[in-house]
Amino acid sequence: MHLPIAGRWFIICASIAATTAFAAEPAARLTSRELAERIDKEFTAIWLESKIEPPALVDDATFLRRSYLDLSGTIPPVSQVREFLDYTGEHKRFLLIERLLTETKRPERHAERTAAHWASLWRRMMIPGNTPEAQQAVNLEPWLKQQFAENVPYDQLARKLITAKSSEGVMVAATNPRLGTINSGPAMYLQMAGGKPETSASSVSRMFLGVRIGCAECHNHPFAEWKQADFWGMAAFFNGIKSGSIEDSNSLKIRPENSTTDYVATYLGGAEAKLTSGKTARETLADWIVSPNNPQFAATTVNRVWLHLIGRGLTDSVDDLDKASPQERKFLDELARLFVAAGYDLRWLISGICQSQVYQRECPVDEHLAVGPGLRPVKTLTPEQLFNSLEQALSLPVARADGSARFNGLRDQLISRMNEAASNQPDEYRAGVPQALLLMNGRLTTEATDLEQSRTLRGVLDAPFLDTDEKLTTLFYATFSRRPRAEERQFLLDHVRKSKEIDKQNQACAEIFWGLLNSPEFVLER
Amino acid sequence: MSLRDFTRRDFLQWSLAAAYGVTHSSLLPRLAAAQGKARSQGACILLWMAGGPTQTDTFDLKVGHPNGGPSKAIDTAVSGIQISEHLGGVAKRMKDFAIIRSLTTQEGDHDRATRLMLTGHRPGQEGVNYPDLGALLAKELGDENNELPPYVSVSPFRFGNIGGPGFLGPNYAPLVVSGDSNDPEARANLSIENLKPPLGVTKESMDRRFEISRFLQDDFSKRAKSGSTDAHKSNYDRAMRMISSNAKGAFKLDEEPAAMRDKYGRNRFGQGCLLARRLVERGVSFVEVTLEGWDTHADNFAQVKRLSETLDPAWSTLTDDLRERGLLDSTMIVWMGEFGRTPKINGTTGRDHFPLAWSTVLGGGKIKGGQVIGDTGKAGTEVVSRPVKTPDLYATLCAGLGIDPGNENISPEGRPIPLVDRGGKVIEEIVKVPVKA
Repeated sequence: MHLPIAGRWFIICASIAATTAFAAEPAARLTSRELAERIDKEFTAIWLESKIEPPALVDDATFLRRSYLDLSGTIPPVSQVREFLDYTGEHKRFLLIERLLTETKRPERHAERTAAHWASLWRRMMIPGNTPEAQQAVNLEPWLKQQFAENVPYDQLARKLITAKSSEGVMVAATNPRLGTINSGPAMYLQMAGGKPETSASSVSRMFLGVRIGCAECHNHPFAEWKQADFWGMAAFFNGIKSGSIEDSNSLKIRPENSTTDYVATYLGGAEAKLTSGKTARETLADWIVSPNNPQFAATTVNRVWLHLIGRGLTDSVDDLDKASPQERKFLDELARLFVAAGYDLRWLISGICQSQVYQRECPVDEHLAVGPGLRPVKTLTPEQLFNSLEQALSLPVARADGSARFNGLRDQLISRMNEAASNQPDEYRAGVPQALLLMNGRLTTEATDLEQSRTLRGVLDAPFLDTDEKLTTLFYATFSRRPRAEERQFLLDHVRKSKEIDKQNQACAEIFWGLLNSPEFVLER
Repeated sequence: MSLRDFTRRDFLQWSLAAAYGVTHSSLLPRLAAAQGKARSQGACILLWMAGGPTQTDTFDLKVGHPNGGPSKAIDTAVSGIQISEHLGGVAKRMKDFAIIRSLTTQEGDHDRATRLMLTGHRPGQEGVNYPDLGALLAKELGDENNELPPYVSVSPFRFGNIGGPGFLGPNYAPLVVSGDSNDPEARANLSIENLKPPLGVTKESMDRRFEISRFLQDDFSKRAKSGSTDAHKSNYDRAMRMISSNAKGAFKLDEEPAAMRDKYGRNRFGQGCLLARRLVERGVSFVEVTLEGWDTHADNFAQVKRLSETLDPAWSTLTDDLRERGLLDSTMIVWMGEFGRTPKINGTTGRDHFPLAWSTVLGGGKIKGGQVIGDTGKAGTEVVSRPVKTPDLYATLCAGLGIDPGNENISPEGRPIPLVDRGGKVIEEIVKVPVKA
């Protein structure tokens, strides 16, 4: 599994340099179903060889919650849970995936929600962390959402981000005055990445090539063999970018501050660049990055999508494919070829992965004991997923006129508090006491568990046709998207039936609702 | 030290390595070494002077030189050491404090300088997410069984909102105490957001909710035990303990005699220092109290006088209070901002950002007070003797708390990150028990 460092580097350099080998085997375009089969074949072999007993396939309820969260970024509404669990037709899982990815009809508008969720995931990867720049980069999401909603091929999307200019978008004032004016279009990406040639080189290499060269800005990379020359060779492509203004220059050279050395634009691990007629340096770089002959671009994209669907990359470090083992790299490259053959179609990729049995398996009962490739870790909801899911579970109003949490500051408050402890890795729960206290005692939860104010509780408790058992089931549908299991039903119904008074029983249901919202099953995804 | 010193990802890699019969080159020896590490005792209170405090009008006066301006110096309890006339309380207790006048750094931008001074490492591009001083010390000193978290930040204000546990993760994140405002009515209002259950929810109802939540937690753990499940449980356990114990009453400042509260100063900073003492008494390892407003580009002298009048009584009282309770020898007090200010006075009677030669003050803990380190000459424009860089300061902070400055943490990439950046040397003359870097 663990190659010596130098070995890893040779693999990646060889894969960048020997692009002909990659191009020599053009893959046929598979259907998403065939992609799923190919994935399953691979992991069946891996698990057999590593003597890993794969976990069972999940039940419908788990699949429903999982695919809702992974695709459209929210838990399903109660009505959808009932409908899905009761539906007995064939191919229901496949049909659900397709609906979540493509259905544009009101009121669900699944495709739009899915595009919005992936825009948020992509923005988080592009500008990670919780810096003022990362907070501002939220404004990149409308543009990204539109790209995902139109299913723009990913090579085109990446090209737009790498080559965007400040002068071509609308400039607006940033919410944080320190950041000055910002471009409302794709140029915001390189601006929020730092707005300098160095930060652009570092971010683009990481995001689109899966290579971390940032350390080589000041010194040679401590692990991989990236040199300062590699770093500045990439930075030279971005030499028209000055103090946040994302433009191009005519030169292919750059001189670092306090240095006497000029560096010429050079493809990472490859040759010096030459400008062809009418193309800017960044357009030339984009040609090279998104070329079907560049194995890094498609491989890092596939790995990022895999990370968000399965919870862990095909190789663990999505920003650093240098660390992939040869075995991991081999399969990643194969999926990358198929992705290229499918025309960089993200929907096809997402659909194929979701249809695979690998996607549809249970998380191991104990992750500490069962670790292995393709096994699904328990995931932590992103701040946006958590808010969306609360909105769903609490039946919050969505219109501004109804005092929606989207507009009255409660959404912003929740997301900014959660951002303080959010991880880039889906399998990492990082929240601390302030985050827990907000969910336990904050205004959203308080109103949601108050018998007078809670829309969900009023809907459930006032329904004359539901008995106590069915009320409990409905609360489970609203929060966990499943029926209570026997032990849970026993324990919780005992809690309600301690008292015969209806007021106290209702109070007990409110306490249960609080418990459900504050349990790991609500904020985690399995 | 225990397994929790390693991130879950390390653990994962390690189990993978074990599962595949491959020995991980660096992790296993590290694991063995960590088990034997002894925990030191002590606490640190950081008085964070956001904006960058002027050294020329506080601890490094230039009387008689045009750069000195109207600031007057007074004698202190240590002959030969003079400081600002507005810091009379600190002057009386000079035997407790060591002034470093020769700090020299390179960051003159608020964000980058804050990052440098609060992490001890130069800010990088897309590099390591360095933990801040509070998180580093919380990890070295903290007691995980305490009901209060090891790192508390009182009404923080930092340029660029910089700081936090970095790669050390949520166990070392600061518990943020907010003072809603600085107005007289809200002065006692230092509290933890959302600590109190909602109005109308009884303790019994809260206990029942906890019981349900614990049942569901255990149930979920049986079906999907994972790093995240465990982290959620430990986080909720801690939050529930804090709610139930009302954080051990640490925040009930009204338990203090009115005269004591007056002595600290009836303002957010003063009451924050009082809270810091109450927290340290209850086992908290690191408390940060912020006094903001030091970015005195204009009207420097009036502003510094006003700030000093808040700073001096709070700092002096804190020192006495800790001493009377026998806590001063184990609690280090650090007075610091992100940089100093230009010795030359600008056209708006202000002073601008100046990282080349500036001051910080340490006291308590294992710090040997009554001393001045370094010299910035007659004009204060450069360090003329004993330059101190950020890594040297960090090494000294470690030594002041009895922590080995050679200690390191493991980043999620598996890279060892030292507490003290390369080349840091302890300022031995101000440490009672020198520790070699």
